[in-house]
Amino acid sequence: MKLLQWVLLGMGAVLTLGLVGCAAPPSAAQGTLEFRANGEDFVRQGFTSKDGWSITFNHLYVTLDELTAYQSDPPFDPEEGGTPAATVSVVLDGPITVDLAEGGPDAEPVLIGAQSAPAGHYNALSWSMVPATEGPAEGYMLVIDGTATRADETVAFVLRLNEALTFTCGDFVGDTRKGLLAADDTADIEATFHFDHLFGDGAAPADDDINTGALGFDPLAALATDGTLQIDQTELEQQISADAYALLRSILPGLGHTGEGHCATEAQAATQ
Amino acid sequence: MPMRLVLLALWGALLLMPAGASYAHSVSVEHTLETVIALAATYDSGEPMAGAQVTVYAPNDPTTAWHTGTCDEMGRYRFAPDPALPGTWTIQVRQAGHGKTIYVEVGSSTTPATSAALVQVGSAAPYTLLQLIVMGGTVVWGCIGTALFLRGGAADAYS
Repeated sequence: MKLLQWVLLGMGAVLTLGLVGCAAPPSAAQGTLEFRANGEDFVRQGFTSKDGWSITFNHLYVTLDELTAYQSDPPFDPEEGGTPAATVSVVLDGPITVDLAEGGPDAEPVLIGAQSAPAGHYNALSWSMVPATEGPAEGYMLVIDGTATRADETVAFVLRLNEALTFTCGDFVGDTRKGLLAADDTADIEATFHFDHLFGDGAAPADDDINTGALGFDPLAALATDGTLQIDQTELEQQISADAYALLRSILPGLGHTGEGHCATEAQAATQ
Repeated sequence: MPMRLVLLALWGALLLMPAGASYAHSVSVEHTLETVIALAATYDSGEPMAGAQVTVYAPNDPTTAWHTGTCDEMGRYRFAPDPALPGTWTIQVRQAGHGKTIYVEVGSSTTPATSAALVQVGSAAPYTLLQLIVMGGTVVWGCIGTALFLRGGAADAYS
């Protein structure tokens, strides 16, 4: 009788272990999702502002946090706002500061980080701009370090901005598609920044929206001393006209894109 | 009377002749009904996206453009998706740094609109109901078996 009980107990243990093993959670097919940031050719190669300043960038630091890629069903429409209806979301821990001007004129978009992720189509992306906790951009979300030249005038400038914003964007729009991750493969998803919205684009007509809505560089050049301007957002508010400052603040939410796709923007509590 | 028969025979022959042989400039027009996707692209200001680039991706290949084209001066564009490729068609319209993606369901085999449960990376995927029942059953079986074993062992110890 005792032997039979041992046999039954052993069979039960083996059965239990086997069934629990079979009942392990299904492992979704995984790949590697790269999060990238892109200042586009405007930042890497320089460009001419709407008011004729030839602008190049030494560094363009942006600090990103809560980077989240979504498989959204239905797809997220930034014009309608709200939040993505995520069936899968992948978060990249931050904050992370990247230099959008790093690399040569033809450099690839900057790699922010990579994350193992379930395969599928990541058709939405969100991120916050937060103050850097260390490094050359410490205390600021956006640091624009460059040189502007027009005729015989040159201004070496550093703008330090602290406009707290969260961008929530839909599918990447561009020459190629992004965010389509296959099992055991690598795909990327991109936070794109359009700095021509800030300075305008001298290659576009003066009455083009990209120029009529841009600040240009003249209001900043007027603040330079001996060809140098180092200024933060608090000082900007005090030193440029109220209209120019309001225009600057209205432009910043439009910086973030996914390729050419627009984003919904939410202002956070402002920090200076 | 024979003349009448001859005329009747000729008339009958004319009726039986193929119509094509009667008219050298006949035309043939066939038609099919197709699904057409018509786009109207504008900026926020209402200005048409004249000349905007249109890229279409079919459901069976989301990475390779199935079709490309250009909007007219009113920002309009029309194309007929292949009915043999039912599902979600992805259409991107872009111009001068501005763009938008839209998704259009074509055919009867459309993508379900229901959303699955949220899956967070780094956490375990959920168990199915069957797996939970089987796991629960094995735990109960283990408890009962252990109790019987101990009871039997205790009885033996006293025996």
